[in-house]
Amino acid sequence: MSRYLGLFVAEASEHLEALGRDLVALEGTPSAETVDSLFRHAHSVKGMAASMGLEPIAQLAHRVEDLVDVARRVPGALGRDRVDLLLTTTDAMLALVRGTGEGNPPAPQPELLGRLGEAVTALTGQAPRPTKVAKVDPLAQPAAPLSTRRFEIRFRVLPAAQSPGPRAFLVFKKLTGLGAVTHLRPPLEDLRAGAIPDGRVALVLETDGGLEAVRSALALVPEVELVSAEPVADEPAPEPQSVATPSTEPARTVRVRTELLDDFLEMAGELLLATARLRDIGRRFPEHERPALDEGVDRLHALVKDLHGKVMGARMTPVAVVTDQLPRAARDLARKRGKDVEVSVTGAEIEIDRAILDAIAEPLLHILRNAIDHGIEEPSGRASAGKPARGRLRIAVRRTRERVVVDVEDDGRGMDPEKLRAAAVARGKLSPEAAERFSPREALMLACLPGVSTATDVDDVSGRGVGMDAVKRSVESLGGALELESQPGRGTRVTLRLPLTVAVVQLLLVRAGGEVLGLPITKVLGAVELPDASLQRSPSVNLITYGAQLVPAHDLARLLELPSPRPPGARPWVVMESEDGTVALGVEALLGQEEAVLKALSRPLDRVSGLAGVTILGNGRPVFILDVPRLLA
Amino acid sequence: MPKRVLIVDDAVFMRNMIRDIFSSGGYEVVGEATHGIEAIEKYRSLRPDLTTMDIVMPYKSGIEATREIVKGDPKAVVVICSALGQESLVMEAIEAGAADFIVKPFRAEDVLAVVKKVLGETPKG
Repeated sequence: MSRYLGLFVAEASEHLEALGRDLVALEGTPSAETVDSLFRHAHSVKGMAASMGLEPIAQLAHRVEDLVDVARRVPGALGRDRVDLLLTTTDAMLALVRGTGEGNPPAPQPELLGRLGEAVTALTGQAPRPTKVAKVDPLAQPAAPLSTRRFEIRFRVLPAAQSPGPRAFLVFKKLTGLGAVTHLRPPLEDLRAGAIPDGRVALVLETDGGLEAVRSALALVPEVELVSAEPVADEPAPEPQSVATPSTEPARTVRVRTELLDDFLEMAGELLLATARLRDIGRRFPEHERPALDEGVDRLHALVKDLHGKVMGARMTPVAVVTDQLPRAARDLARKRGKDVEVSVTGAEIEIDRAILDAIAEPLLHILRNAIDHGIEEPSGRASAGKPARGRLRIAVRRTRERVVVDVEDDGRGMDPEKLRAAAVARGKLSPEAAERFSPREALMLACLPGVSTATDVDDVSGRGVGMDAVKRSVESLGGALELESQPGRGTRVTLRLPLTVAVVQLLLVRAGGEVLGLPITKVLGAVELPDASLQRSPSVNLITYGAQLVPAHDLARLLELPSPRPPGARPWVVMESEDGTVALGVEALLGQEEAVLKALSRPLDRVSGLAGVTILGNGRPVFILDVPRLLA
Repeated sequence: MPKRVLIVDDAVFMRNMIRDIFSSGGYEVVGEATHGIEAIEKYRSLRPDLTTMDIVMPYKSGIEATREIVKGDPKAVVVICSALGQESLVMEAIEAGAADFIVKPFRAEDVLAVVKKVLGETPKG
């Protein structure tokens, strides 16, 4: 039984999570399909729990099934209170299932059973069917019955046989009529072709007919002699692969621990680095010896890159893994606040790297909390603003060329740039003069400064110390960006722009302050050579001419507080995109381009503003990758 | 009581030869058919203990006829009369439910040995 337990916990949890989602969906827009889906999930859980002999879970699932069944016949049967009851039951079952996985047998739930029973009685006027659920022992129903015995059978096609192939095939057919044949030697193709060395055939037969049936069957076949038939040890039955996953796609898949995928990525990344190192070493060889080596390294690089791509592909996970939880979370949160919210999710099927998905789960939840807590008004407030009583939260995921964009949009009261300005000044984050220079849109971003919020109350909904500043930081640490748009009275939209995958970045290597540093090439617009003397100096910032535009120019070494030797002649300026427009960075030299595997910084370096990560170059040297927007902030 | 045999072959020569073999072996030939459709009809009306079946015949092949006969009567004993070089057809016939096969050109004692074996008339071992 225990070997089914892990599978049971996984499958039953999936069904119960789906049950919860369906219940929330049902409350939003009731539909017959949702009710059917509810019923199927409850039914599956009941069957699985009963098979495992977990009566308390099976009983609850059975009662849920009863109540949902009534809902099929009585429209509107599942009002808010009954959905609440069903959600509570679903949570309880989930807890029991997980507890079972940890070795705690489920306890009976008379109180919940009673309430479910009352709900059924209230709707039908009849007491529900008894909840005793028959126990089914899964061991009694594997592919073959318990009496199954395995025999190794050897037979020989006599040399006089005119057609040894059909002869051996006939025996094979007769034995498959008795049970399952495995370990056939020679393999079936050879057998049929008559390629049977010395006429000898061996196989393993799993049959409940016993050896006598084997002997009788072979006795009827001419030109064949039975050499031996002996029982062999039982092999473990193959794991039931799809006991309860009625997948519509019969894709051949295996479950892999996510840590394993992390390991694969790490190793593929290390391989990329090792290849780069090999290429670097190759450069030291004399010219005439290099082509062969380069060819090998090129081939290796192509293979490793392909492998890396495949591993990345395997890590791609639908956004649904995170967004599926949001409607339920929003509902619970809204009820706590006396509000009514309907959540819609689109584009949940879009895939993104698992690591990024993991990292945005919390931020997304926080954005949702903010929207419900501060955005969506109470029903009365919405009524006086001429809005429908039920607030709307729209989560839209879409894919652009290189990014996944997640919009979280509410139709609540919106954010007031003036109040944010005032709050930032009042909390000493900003001088009144600086605040004045912010455009309304820039002022909205003040909500992302630590400690700035227009909310005066601190509550258990969003006053948990995770502010928009934390959301912004975590999105940016992934190489993403956060944008805010809001119209007072109309609503707020938070947009997350996320990279599809982590890890490999193309770097422009530069030297500044004597250090080698990496700049992400995706942000580089170009480079120009200019002497410092050609800078146009304005009071607040220096400017260089890039094409037809004037671009703010910074000495990279000075930004990093490194010694800046300031060579007398022309030096390279790297022109880059940043959030506040284009910017030029003065460096000492451009060193080249390199593909690098981005590694996140660990403490305490992750506290250093302006560093996006670190990588190891081909020569084994670590190089910091700069986060230019944060460097300038 | 002698076992009852139905012979199916489109060649008169073969039918006569097979009939002689069975008669000499103490079997009763209860009918003959010259193609697959006739074979199915005769099998249904005669219910023989054993049917010999040629493979390549007009209207309906021996393989199809075997499939339908066995489908209608899973206990039917159909022995395929094949020629050398027809191995793959024989295996198709076995898939279709044939109990055994004999290979032309055959000798009387070989045919009778196979038939005895298939009908379980030889002592085991």
